[in-house]
Amino acid sequence: MVILPATTGQMGVLPGHVPTIAELKPGVLSVHEGGQVKTQYFVSSGFAFIHANSVTDVIAIEAVPLDKFDPEEVKKGLADCTQKLNAATTDLERAQAQIGIEVHGALTSALGV
Amino acid sequence: MASGSARKAGMRLSSLLSGSLASGIKSQTAAASPWSSSTGAAGELGPFGSRFASSQAVRNRMKSVKSIQKITKAMKMVAASKLRGVVSKTEKSRGLWQPFIALLGDHPGVDAKKVSILTVSTDRGLCGGINSTAVKYSKALLKLSSGPDKEVSYIIVGDKARAILQRDSKQSIALTVTETQKISISFTQASMIVDEIVKDLDFDVVRVMYNKFNSVVQFLPTVTTILSPETLIRESESGKLGDLDAYEVEGAEMKSEVLQNLSEFQFASVLYNAFLENACSEQGARMSAMDSSTRNATEMLDKLTLSYNRSRQATITTELIEIISGAAALEASN
Repeated sequence: MVILPATTGQMGVLPGHVPTIAELKPGVLSVHEGGQVKTQYFVSSGFAFIHANSVTDVIAIEAVPLDKFDPEEVKKGLADCTQKLNAATTDLERAQAQIGIEVHGALTSALGV
Repeated sequence: MASGSARKAGMRLSSLLSGSLASGIKSQTAAASPWSSSTGAAGELGPFGSRFASSQAVRNRMKSVKSIQKITKAMKMVAASKLRGVVSKTEKSRGLWQPFIALLGDHPGVDAKKVSILTVSTDRGLCGGINSTAVKYSKALLKLSSGPDKEVSYIIVGDKARAILQRDSKQSIALTVTETQKISISFTQASMIVDEIVKDLDFDVVRVMYNKFNSVVQFLPTVTTILSPETLIRESESGKLGDLDAYEVEGAEMKSEVLQNLSEFQFASVLYNAFLENACSEQGARMSAMDSSTRNATEMLDKLTLSYNRSRQATITTELIEIISGAAALEASN
């Protein structure tokens, strides 16, 4: 089973799932085998296609195994983005800061810090 | 002595030779008289009998051919090392667009009003025929796609295609992008270019024309078709797009919004892959072009060296004969 971070929430995919096009938001993609978590990737965003033949294609702009992240850097990044959001003046800056908060927030909850 | 002073004066020796010596000398050329044609011996080295001006010319030519040989050899090595760097990146990037084909299928025959042809070419030259091939196919595609009440345009990536297409199709060029390889090729760069295109240009179908890298000696001109979101919806509703309709859409509220993101993402992935494949083809083509150039230079150098040596030896022989016959004449008169 694979759990995808879709924009509508965490989505579990088992063999025989209905064919779906799912838009992904930044989050953790985890592959479960036999009830155990096998691998986890942090996905920046992208798409997942679930085909009728039980094949799922995940296309992400960036996908990194979770153990490559440094928790301290992630915490610092979240603090930076929160600060930038408070200091944002234009819509563009606000949007950029919000995206940063979303990504870092997902990372912190994934890493458990 | 006599020949020495004539040499210093730079006089043509053919006049000195014409007397008693000409009959004794076995000329290599079949010229009727030593100064009959200006091309003289085998058409290469100047008039028969003249010594120094032509040998200097040949020596200069040999020097320049040798340096060309060295330069092209170095260029081949540089291209080989660059190729090694890009090939692995390219092979990995092929997985980016394959899921889109699995989902949407490949529809090169789709009929559309506004067609754009995106030609991917190189910025630098000396890479064989890949740029002219790309332009040739792009022109053919444009012709195929044009017709009454159809709008066709070019989007050009790379200096070389721009130079060729500006000459005769200047009015059809919508956008030009150059210097894509200055900083390395990345997905970010491809998506930025897609942003610009989608902002400026309203298209139904984009046909991306590039050289796919098959092996170091084989490059396949390839066309990838990308449909705009509206065209996607239209084709899927008319049932031609396989079963796109069978897919549930999780994401935004409107299916069209998701399809727009999908189409732009597909465009960026395809463009990223096209840039990489073209870069590989460029390095491979440059390798073979420089290789054949080095081989030609070596051949030319060999031929020049042979004829230079031949002329040098002929000159020395002539001088010797002069001296000897001069001495013999002196002795005979005594």
